[in-house]
Amino acid sequence: MDWAEKYRPEHLKDVIGNTQTLGQMLSWARNWTPRSKPLLLYGKPGTGKTSSAHALARDMKWEVVELNASDQRTKALLEKVAGSSSTTASISGAARHLILLDEVDNLHGTADRGGAKALLEIIRRSAQPIILIANNLQGVPSELRMQCEPIVFRAVQSRSILPRLKFICSSEGVRCSEKILKEISEASGGDVRAAISMLSAVAMGEKEVSEADLEISMKDERATIFDLVSRVFRSEPDEELLRTAMDIVESPDDIQQWLEGSIPHLQDGEAISAGYRALSKADLFTGRVLRRQYYTLWRYAQAISLVGVSAAAGGRVIHERIMPPPRWHRMSTLRRQKALRNALLKKLSERLHIPPDELRNEYLTSLSLLVEADPERFVLEFALDTEELNLFIHDRKKATEIMKRMSERGPVVAGAKAGSAVGDAEEEKRTRRGKQARQKQTTLF
Amino acid sequence: MIECTTRGAGVQTEGDQTIWIEKYRPARLADIVGQDEIVRRLQAYVRSGNMPHLLFTGSAGVGKTTAAVALAKEFYGDAWQTNFRELNASDERGIDVVRTQIKQFARISPLEGAGFKILFLDEADALTPDAQAALRRTMENFSHTCRFILSCNYSSKIIDPIQSRCAIFRFSPLGSRAIEKEMQRIAEQEGLDIKPDGMDAIVYVAQGDMRRAINALQGASMMGGEIKSQAIYAVTSTARPEEIEELLDLAVKGDFEGAERYLETLMTERGIAPNELLNQCYRALVRRSMPPALKVEFIGHLGEADFRLSEGANPDIQMKALVANMILSVRRGG
Repeated sequence: MDWAEKYRPEHLKDVIGNTQTLGQMLSWARNWTPRSKPLLLYGKPGTGKTSSAHALARDMKWEVVELNASDQRTKALLEKVAGSSSTTASISGAARHLILLDEVDNLHGTADRGGAKALLEIIRRSAQPIILIANNLQGVPSELRMQCEPIVFRAVQSRSILPRLKFICSSEGVRCSEKILKEISEASGGDVRAAISMLSAVAMGEKEVSEADLEISMKDERATIFDLVSRVFRSEPDEELLRTAMDIVESPDDIQQWLEGSIPHLQDGEAISAGYRALSKADLFTGRVLRRQYYTLWRYAQAISLVGVSAAAGGRVIHERIMPPPRWHRMSTLRRQKALRNALLKKLSERLHIPPDELRNEYLTSLSLLVEADPERFVLEFALDTEELNLFIHDRKKATEIMKRMSERGPVVAGAKAGSAVGDAEEEKRTRRGKQARQKQTTLF
Repeated sequence: MIECTTRGAGVQTEGDQTIWIEKYRPARLADIVGQDEIVRRLQAYVRSGNMPHLLFTGSAGVGKTTAAVALAKEFYGDAWQTNFRELNASDERGIDVVRTQIKQFARISPLEGAGFKILFLDEADALTPDAQAALRRTMENFSHTCRFILSCNYSSKIIDPIQSRCAIFRFSPLGSRAIEKEMQRIAEQEGLDIKPDGMDAIVYVAQGDMRRAINALQGASMMGGEIKSQAIYAVTSTARPEEIEELLDLAVKGDFEGAERYLETLMTERGIAPNELLNQCYRALVRRSMPPALKVEFIGHLGEADFRLSEGANPDIQMKALVANMILSVRRGG
């Protein structure tokens, strides 16, 4: 059996890392009522999301109904599988079903048509506990996200992974030095499954693991992006640069961005401009690769960026630290903004029957003016939340105020439909407070 | 690969394999050249009767498919074809291939007493990210009946959650020593005499790709038992390295007529394909010592020509334009 499967934790107490999160899950399960919100577990691969959900079910003696991206999640299928188990109570009355919806950040447009809507419907109607799982919170449709209680799984610390690896070695009768296991748990980057995969790669079928075995299965350590960038600026032979670039993990477009980050350190106007010229030319080819999927062009992008920047540097060694492009720090917020904007565009596009691209290019400006003139009406009409309103009026404070004012006056101004929505929100707040109080109680006792 | 001799490493000439790349495809892990560490690990899996999911990365012709097939043969013996399936992801790259074909194979129990089946997914980097996402739970849910071997050229195009589920094996490009050794082995079997310049030519055209090397050797052998460089370049429609140098020399000198005429000869008389010429010029340029700024411009011109050809432009016009562009760059620079 595959070790990652064989040593999948059976009970919550066997799951490593994320102790607090596991506690949250357990109290959610113990206090579960049909009014409880579903949990949305999210986090990087190999941090224990799916394992914890299964372990929780086992500890609670719940049966699991699982649906993941390898099942086509059309409305019809979801209703059939989850719909039946969610509303009808188990015949015996005793055991519940945990509905596990894995990979909800991978609901695919046409292939999973109506999938998100059907999921929402199931959440609303369900008389059974539900757990959703995703890698990327932003990839979960916002309307789905809002119905759930998000819980984050963080990368597991390497010193927590180490004992697990030791345990596996002793169960399998493999001798393996602490140093090797340490190296594996550090190289895994907090991904427990990757650590176990690496271990099984070197240890399966062996009685003893030597350090030489380690090299092949680890991420490539022959060279790193730092080596490459510094070699480029030292203007080492072109062939050497290209060979190093083949050895490292980063793809040509990433390499270009790293180079971009260091070009300003050249200090000489002419050299800097020559460096950027080369990058821009290389980028042209990268773009064509992406557009046409014609990967042969990658080599030109690679050669032009490496040889070009190396020529521009002319052997002027840079002394500043080699850093990833500053843009990457801002990337996560940018990505969030972008996801938000796309979700909003999609929503509007469905309502107005205009394709998202056209909406953005032709109508967004005029729409924004309209929204600014009468925000409350549009909030009601398009069911906007604070973030979405902010995208139109570019004023977070004002957006928050408007939403607050509306929810205070809610039932009077907004009419029956919106009134009930606001009422729900109030209700929700109350139950959440109640739940928090209960949680405190459990920890007190 | 329909008929494969599993006995005696497949080296005995039985006359049932006319294509050498199949005839000399190593049937046992031990016969794979140039990947010693990887072979040793895979053999350990066979001894233990168990293995994790594997991810093979590396360029073409370095032994990824061969290793997967040989592994299956050693796990299952004669029953290997019932428990091993090869799928090429570049044929069908969408999510449906995972939801139908892959799941169907994975869910059926292994036959003839094997512990698990092996699904070999070639060119897995061609799978769309959606399809890769669909693959990840499939790999786990069916791991009691099936192991996956994914093979790809670029591991950066395999999504993280999949990499995290696999033991990663990086196949390195084959060095000239490994290729020479294998050529020598085949030459002995086939009664050929590879001359030193012939061997150099094979290594040059192979570029670390064993499949290409064997193919060149078989082609050249049709012209006689003595393998010389001329035959190798002729059957592979490759220009000699010196000829490429000559072409570039003419361009660097700014001699448009000369370069154009030379290009014409290579293309029409020697029948070398434009793409091959671009490929060879690229390799030569990277290695060539010349003013770096000019080198970068030349590479840019090559890329431009390559791109336009891929878009369906007329090769004769684009190759001439390539030479003209190079010469313009030289004149502007000088």
